[in-house]
Amino acid sequence: MDMFHNLMQGFATVISPYNLWVAAVGCFFGTIVGILPGLGPSTTIAILLPLTFSMNSTSAMIMLTCIYYGSKYGGSITSILINVPGEGASVVTCFDGYQMARQGRGGAALGVSTIGSFIAGIAGTFGLIFICEPLADLCLKFGPAEYFSLIVMGMLTIVFVGGKSIAKSLISGILGLALGCVGADIVRGAPRFVYGIPELMGGIDFVPVVMGLFGIGEVLVSAEERMKVQPLNVKFADLWPTLADIVQSKWAIMRGTLIGFGIGALPGAGSTIASFISYGVEKSIAKDPSRFGKGAIEGVAAPESANNSACSGAFVPLLSLGIPGSSSTAILLGALVLYGLKPGPMLFQTSSAFVWALMASMFIGNIMLLIMNLPLVPFFAASLRIPYSLLYPAITLISVVGAYSMNNSAFGVWVMIIFGIFGYLMKKYDIPAAPLVIALVLGPLMEEHLYQALNLSHGNVAVFITRPISATLLALSALMAILVTLKTVKEKRAVIESEDDA
Amino acid sequence: MKKADAVFGFISLGLSFWLMIEASRFDYMTEFAAGPGFMPFWLGVALGLLALFLIWDAFRRKGGKKDELDKERGLPDRKALIRVGLILLMIVGLTLVMQYLGFALAVVLFVILILFFLEGYGIGKSTFYGIVFSAFIFLVFQYWLEVQLPKGYFGF
Repeated sequence: MDMFHNLMQGFATVISPYNLWVAAVGCFFGTIVGILPGLGPSTTIAILLPLTFSMNSTSAMIMLTCIYYGSKYGGSITSILINVPGEGASVVTCFDGYQMARQGRGGAALGVSTIGSFIAGIAGTFGLIFICEPLADLCLKFGPAEYFSLIVMGMLTIVFVGGKSIAKSLISGILGLALGCVGADIVRGAPRFVYGIPELMGGIDFVPVVMGLFGIGEVLVSAEERMKVQPLNVKFADLWPTLADIVQSKWAIMRGTLIGFGIGALPGAGSTIASFISYGVEKSIAKDPSRFGKGAIEGVAAPESANNSACSGAFVPLLSLGIPGSSSTAILLGALVLYGLKPGPMLFQTSSAFVWALMASMFIGNIMLLIMNLPLVPFFAASLRIPYSLLYPAITLISVVGAYSMNNSAFGVWVMIIFGIFGYLMKKYDIPAAPLVIALVLGPLMEEHLYQALNLSHGNVAVFITRPISATLLALSALMAILVTLKTVKEKRAVIESEDDA
Repeated sequence: MKKADAVFGFISLGLSFWLMIEASRFDYMTEFAAGPGFMPFWLGVALGLLALFLIWDAFRRKGGKKDELDKERGLPDRKALIRVGLILLMIVGLTLVMQYLGFALAVVLFVILILFFLEGYGIGKSTFYGIVFSAFIFLVFQYWLEVQLPKGYFGF
């Protein structure tokens, strides 16, 4: 009953004209930027972050969440019409979505993808509501040692599950933690790695870092090749899927929704794995698996639903534990901190109105996206025709505005440029940026909990393994590390043997 | 990618030494808890070990199919690299100039330079887009969102 009452209060906050306007703007811009080839949800949220600077925390987070969902909807348009996925989670949609578009069924693919995403988004938000608060309540029993171990586990999961090379992902995470050490240290407030630069006393600002890594990094990578895209045409009349299409995809949508939410709720897993698994499940249970890859509608419905419900699932660890599951949610976590909110289980106690408004906005956002996406797809698809030569100066300028307006100083822009070069090199050499961003956000919290745990135990390091929850979390991390290392060693051996044979 | 991995490994190794040296300037432990040097020191150690692994792995690996594949998408050619360098230079230029000319004028100049010199647009079209971009950013950020943008000598 409390849950229902809180949710209704959340709706009361969201349906104010200003917040509805903010949600609509977020959905629109999220979709339109998310459509642009190569720009995934992380980049979209990063470059649109400045739009929220003048807002209060609730409106700002509503807008960012709608941008996040919008970019997911937009990503599917790019995958289906031009076969270019904006992010990992949209790769699977290309397999059958693009084939459908080539067969003149692009409208049906887009329609089913939108309807599936909508159902998954709504169902996922219900899941989030039912799981999030009880989980946060459970975690209220956590002390500093448990928090420290939880953060360690969250970061290791992202490293082990997300990246192609574990060593590179770990290095990326360590660099993020090192960057988090910059500024006044939490023990004595003494400057650390500051080198006389007063702007660094408060630490490295998160906004210029993400704008550099994702925004400028993307601009520089794309600058190498003069990107030209030729989207397939979609007529308004062809947009609605037939009843047969919907009947054929209904179970795929349901299964995708469940798989997506379950996987998305795990820290570190996220929508890419969810979409691949749901596609695999559909293919394996299909009567005729050979249809997949040639334009099977279930091959679009399942991964797109999984992708969207994983978005809602990703909010479970974010809101209840303060642990992001992906680079997109890491940016959202950074934004929470930026707006003065303290992520973690206490968020439900200290900022209950905010959390429920945010969850209510997810329903509103998904409804808006359904309304926007079905009739406006031809318009959104037309934005793919804007030449990239005009887009990248725009991305650069918005990033500069964002970095500058953090402190009304050019210092942020210089930081952004430096991280833009980092972002470019990281993309070129396949070093994932997600662990760096997550570690940058969680690093100071991790150090704070480490300091508090050791202080409470009078310097006894055993506190992390003598407390049952902390020990379990660390044991799970160790188990995960061992399993992933064994798998990597096995793969490396296979590569060496095949090279020796050659 | 083999060479790139080795280079990245050596850079990381250098960073790890720097982290450890810098960490040694702070207290490792306080009376009961970790001091300000504790975390950077262990981060340096972990980074060093991972860097050594990466270097070892890069030198051990033969140039197999994966490396050939990676080479294709590895370092850009000279022309592309010049393009990247020029864009970066223009962003640096924009950052320097906006504090003196103001954001509105700096944006016009930035867009003209990018479109005219890098993208081959005519001067008229480049100027038109420069003015449109500048006006759009000013309207959205300064007037709608009330974000402070740098003002130059001309007061805008």
